Amino acid sequence: MTIVAVTLKGLLRDRVLHGILFASLVFLAIPALSTLSMRQVTELSLTLCLSLVSFILLVLAVFLGGVSLWRDVERRYTHSVLTLPHGRTRYLLERFAGTALFLLGTAVFLGILSILVVSLVASNYPPDRPVAWLAVVAALGFDVLKCLLLIAFAVLFSSVSTSFFLPVFGTIAVYLVGGASQQAYDYVLSPVGQTLPPLVRAAAKVLYYVVPNLAAFDLKVNAIYALPLDPGALALTFGYGVLYTAFVLIVAAAVYSRRELG
Amino acid sequence: MMRFAVSALCVLAVYLTVLFPFTRSMAQKPYAVKLGIIPHPVALQVLLPDFQELLGARVLGKVIQYYGSLTDDKAVPGKVPLAADYPAMSRTVHAALRLDPYNMDGYYFAQSILVWDVHQYRLATDLLEYGMTYRNWDWYLPFFAGFNYAFFLKDYENAAKMYMRAGELSDAALFKSLAGRYLQEAGETRMAIDYLRTLQSSARNPAVKRSLQVRIDTFEAVLAIEHARDCYLAENQSAPQNIDALIEAGYLADKPVDLYGGEFYFDERGQVRSTSKFAFAGVHRSDVEEKPAPPRGK
Repeated sequence: MTIVAVTLKGLLRDRVLHGILFASLVFLAIPALSTLSMRQVTELSLTLCLSLVSFILLVLAVFLGGVSLWRDVERRYTHSVLTLPHGRTRYLLERFAGTALFLLGTAVFLGILSILVVSLVASNYPPDRPVAWLAVVAALGFDVLKCLLLIAFAVLFSSVSTSFFLPVFGTIAVYLVGGASQQAYDYVLSPVGQTLPPLVRAAAKVLYYVVPNLAAFDLKVNAIYALPLDPGALALTFGYGVLYTAFVLIVAAAVYSRRELG
Repeated sequence: MMRFAVSALCVLAVYLTVLFPFTRSMAQKPYAVKLGIIPHPVALQVLLPDFQELLGARVLGKVIQYYGSLTDDKAVPGKVPLAADYPAMSRTVHAALRLDPYNMDGYYFAQSILVWDVHQYRLATDLLEYGMTYRNWDWYLPFFAGFNYAFFLKDYENAAKMYMRAGELSDAALFKSLAGRYLQEAGETRMAIDYLRTLQSSARNPAVKRSLQVRIDTFEAVLAIEHARDCYLAENQSAPQNIDALIEAGYLADKPVDLYGGEFYFDERGQVRSTSKFAFAGVHRSDVEEKPAPPRGK
């Protein structure tokens, strides 16, 4: 059995799926909650669905990504796994792939639920502009890509950490900093930002290029209000996400391959 | 097992005795306390970057719910008691639109409350123009702004521009004709009724719908008086002294009723006015501070 399969089996054994199913019961309340809006019932249903999916995926990325490697070390499973003819890099990448596959499956399941709920609401309260389903799918897809990047960071932190705290809180910190990096950069470039000391401005610019830019992956506003998508920008964001994730995983593999597993 | 059941029952009994006073005290909390402190929108954008639309909708939902809970439809339909915390409502709507500048509920609610209840025409119109930079497909925003310019601010040039924009976006002949009519500075009451009916036809919130109906009914009464006045003037070559003169001369069957509790009268220019100023008593312009529309750019 491959490590990917072991990871997926472990997640099912931990009843993560039960937790997701329980959380997805909230979808049942969304059609009723959406009617609280005065003028944009369908848009509110989309807001609620996409935010709920985003929240569940974020929690999964932080906790599953942060816990999987660390727990193996803690329970000394790693020793037995590494006696198999697998390198540490392969072990780490397959752990990542297993978690990523689980996240992808969850996103597909929650995405289908979202589409069903929004279709139901839209049939009762037709929106001013038709729902842009392509933008909805793109918003879900890029949310998954963002979470894969966060899982990669969680794996990186796990590869150096001996405790549960660094992977989980480190990933949350990356999420917060990554979400605000574009805003901070825009501020530095604004007329008000020009009054900052040159050293601060230079440091902010360097940080902007180092820290992941997670704002690019947020397409909710396009999906909710049927705003047009820019295919060029989407392709760039996709490339950015894949390459950044690959780079973080390479660093994680390099660190993990040299780690003392006493 | 018996021990657990007895313990659980004891705790449940104490819980129920606490629950009812707790619920009562929550219901009596002032609006600002119930809503809690809303952090600055920039702080929310940084702390919860992926959930701005959700936060905007949540904040607006609280204000709308609060407003709905204040209207006493059994006593006086559409009337909001004096305790309404309009400054807090205005601040909250601004914060929500800063979080999600596309949220139509925010503009619609601001237009309903700021214009009709607190007479903050400029503030509401600035907010609509802010929204137009985002919702550039939506004819409602220029439609609302055009009405504010014409009816309240008496700025017919801007009113015409807004109605032309609404006409372009909706391709509705009504707006195009309104754009022309506003330039002539005439027929304001009829236009107000047209406007309110359009607003009401798309309103879903029962409190807002009833509030609009009260205004429509009152403006219909004004229109009836204006029609009678014009007939009187045409036949008698002089303006009527007061509303009673129209009734005595048979131009009006009954004394029209102002549902806001005022009395109709003619002002020095012969225009129909009411002592209520077409608002329920107790709401003043100064209740809401002048706050500019949020800066553009998310």
